[in-house]
Amino acid sequence: MPKLIIDDIPVEVAPGTSVLEAARSVGITIPHFCYHPALAIAAACRLCAVKLLDGPVKGIQMSCALPAQDGMVVSTTDPEALRMRQLVIEWLMINHPHDCPVCDEGGECLLQDFTIAGGHSRRRYQGKKRTFQNQYLGETIHHEMNRCIECYRCVRFYQDYAGGTDFGVTGSAGRVYFGRFQEGALESPFSGNLVDICPTGVFTDKTGRFRARYWDYQFAPSVCQHCSVGCNTAPQNFQRETIKIVGRRNDQVNGWFICDRARFDKGYLNDPQRPREARLDGATCGYDVAIDAAAKAIGKFVAQNGAESLAFVGSSRLSLEGMILLAQLARTVDGARLCYFTDGGELTGSAAAARLLNEKNSAYLRDIEKAECIALYALDLMEEGPMLALAVRKAFLAGAQIYLVDGDPIPAREKLPFTFTAVATLDEVPFEGGGRGVVIAGAGKKDADLLDQLASGGAKLVMLQPGPNAMAGGLLSLEFGGQAFSELASAGKIKGVVCFEADLPEGLIVDVEVVACADWRTGAAAAKAPVFLPTTTWVESDGTAINYEGRAQRFQRTRVPGLPLRGLDPKYYGSTADAVAEHPPRVHRKEVPGGAERDAWRVMAQLIERLGGRTIEEPLTGRWSKLKDLDPESEGVRVFNLLQGDPRTDS
Amino acid sequence: MIPETLKKALEARVASAITAREAAVDVMKELQAHYGWLTDEAVEEAASLLGLSPLQVEELATFYEMIYRRPVGKKVIHVCDSISCWCVDCDGIIEHLKEKLGVALGGTTADGMFTLLPCCCMGMCGDGPAMSVGGIPYGKLTPELVDEILEMERQKI
Repeated sequence: MPKLIIDDIPVEVAPGTSVLEAARSVGITIPHFCYHPALAIAAACRLCAVKLLDGPVKGIQMSCALPAQDGMVVSTTDPEALRMRQLVIEWLMINHPHDCPVCDEGGECLLQDFTIAGGHSRRRYQGKKRTFQNQYLGETIHHEMNRCIECYRCVRFYQDYAGGTDFGVTGSAGRVYFGRFQEGALESPFSGNLVDICPTGVFTDKTGRFRARYWDYQFAPSVCQHCSVGCNTAPQNFQRETIKIVGRRNDQVNGWFICDRARFDKGYLNDPQRPREARLDGATCGYDVAIDAAAKAIGKFVAQNGAESLAFVGSSRLSLEGMILLAQLARTVDGARLCYFTDGGELTGSAAAARLLNEKNSAYLRDIEKAECIALYALDLMEEGPMLALAVRKAFLAGAQIYLVDGDPIPAREKLPFTFTAVATLDEVPFEGGGRGVVIAGAGKKDADLLDQLASGGAKLVMLQPGPNAMAGGLLSLEFGGQAFSELASAGKIKGVVCFEADLPEGLIVDVEVVACADWRTGAAAAKAPVFLPTTTWVESDGTAINYEGRAQRFQRTRVPGLPLRGLDPKYYGSTADAVAEHPPRVHRKEVPGGAERDAWRVMAQLIERLGGRTIEEPLTGRWSKLKDLDPESEGVRVFNLLQGDPRTDS
Repeated sequence: MIPETLKKALEARVASAITAREAAVDVMKELQAHYGWLTDEAVEEAASLLGLSPLQVEELATFYEMIYRRPVGKKVIHVCDSISCWCVDCDGIIEHLKEKLGVALGGTTADGMFTLLPCCCMGMCGDGPAMSVGGIPYGKLTPELVDEILEMERQKI
């Protein structure tokens, strides 16, 4: 463990740590552009200069490329180092257009921060600036090459880290250009990270440009709800509209980055057509009126048809809190059925994964990255868990063997960023004594015996779930005897259904009465329900999600629910009736327009109370109560030990 | 489209390299010799021969100054403007060339004979000012010598 002194502070760091990281560990930020912890060292920008006063090396050195060694005495404030950094900044700024007022990066720009920090505040250069032609890079990313300071972060991420081949660096010397061979949309499904990783405004998020500045945003730690990987994000909101979503670091789950679906797929959150008012028999009504009506309808249905012909149906869109209360709600109506899954195959797979995985055999990000042998078991990795493809690539670059098992070929629509050998069965994959081998399979739609067989191999397991919070659905299905709705419905056991954020296909509910429906989007069940209760999405609610590896993560409310203040997109003005209906009311009122949505678990709690159950203030009770104080900024906690001695049984 | 024989030869060149990338410069030079300059089509052909993306070939093509990504004249003049030649007044030679040929740096003469490009050192520092015309190096240039060389090179075709 090298011991060194940085600005009179003694520091001890792990071997191989750079001086820059060593300084950061004691709270000293040395300005830097090209350095990024997730990428290889380039030492291209020359900004992180420090002076070594004593020790094995002396003089001005680049702290990002200098491993900390015993006996080093480092000064980050030495006049010579300060002057060097100031001059470097000045030369990096020579061609920069100084267009901060019209740049979407302004306010969240590393170049602004370090230019000021580096002491360059007055421009001396009077000559002409280098200029470039920008390229069209698709509908999500805007290109503005003149702002470039040649740190190479984008190309190191795009090609080296993410395995993309259609974006890179051309030219030499003063003509270095970062772009594509020809204009066109970036092909990598991770291209959005260019926005985060560029230290200035060369790449900005076209889907949210010029809407607000950094200091206008309302944001909070959140967890992506598109797949079961559970990447950490920070949605940036302005006036009740989610403007941008950026990645948030979690070394246990997603590292620094997120995929493009997590970043750009956000239109549904801001949709003015989202159901926002409680409805009773087609007419809007007060929320509590609707809840009363729902409770009454449930009571009436049970009296007429018996509780066993009523199903409470949720989905993996519910938070853990919602799922727990759904079970309690079903229990309140004694004998009613509980479904977290519509599809039987998804239930079997998720429940099997919940039963089979434990603290020891459940692989997480680092296990995949460090694996020597990885088998992809008949899954579309880019669809089911794109960020894991980058982890597999990391292992691949470190020399791991990658196999694709089963004849089920990976759809060619997304190229995987690594090469693999296709084999017919898992037996052909040479796991050496189970050491550092990982099997990645999709848990949904797989039969339990097959998953059993995968689990018995000794390799660590990744069982990607069929939905964002499906792992919680699997765990709770085991605990409370959850059933698959499609099976109940086709067996004719169900006459009525109460839906909570459930996506029931129209065909399944033809002969079923939808008693009530709570959701944040519309669907077949919502259209059929006499009572509709609007709920909040994950950006508008606090909650907990459990990812594929059994890690519980807390997400926080990032904004209040309600119609975005921005007004309507021109497309809604095609018909006057539409525009009037969607537009926020033009009269004074104290409530947020369209802000009546409630969290699904609170709606359930209110229903439980009205149906004669007890009052619920805290959804996480019993063995789940240990998750009550989960910190949204922590790395999350795996639930296996938490649930030890739990009533999980083979279902 | 390149002729089948050239394609075969290039495939053999790529096959003999330890990594395909290693053969990239050779492939680009051959294609350039075939087309006169490295056309967009040639970049895509090189990419498919090398198993790289067109962008990855473009990265290499635009790095090397003797790979031409725009049409050039029959002979390209690379005139050195680096420090050793600058010490012996390459600026004067460059001015003379511009005047003589009637083009600016980067330009091609009206008859399509010469393209004038500056270059950064050909390793002829002892013989500066230096230039190369169509791949043939010339040193210790004077305006008179430049005239002679241009006349000679024009005749050689």
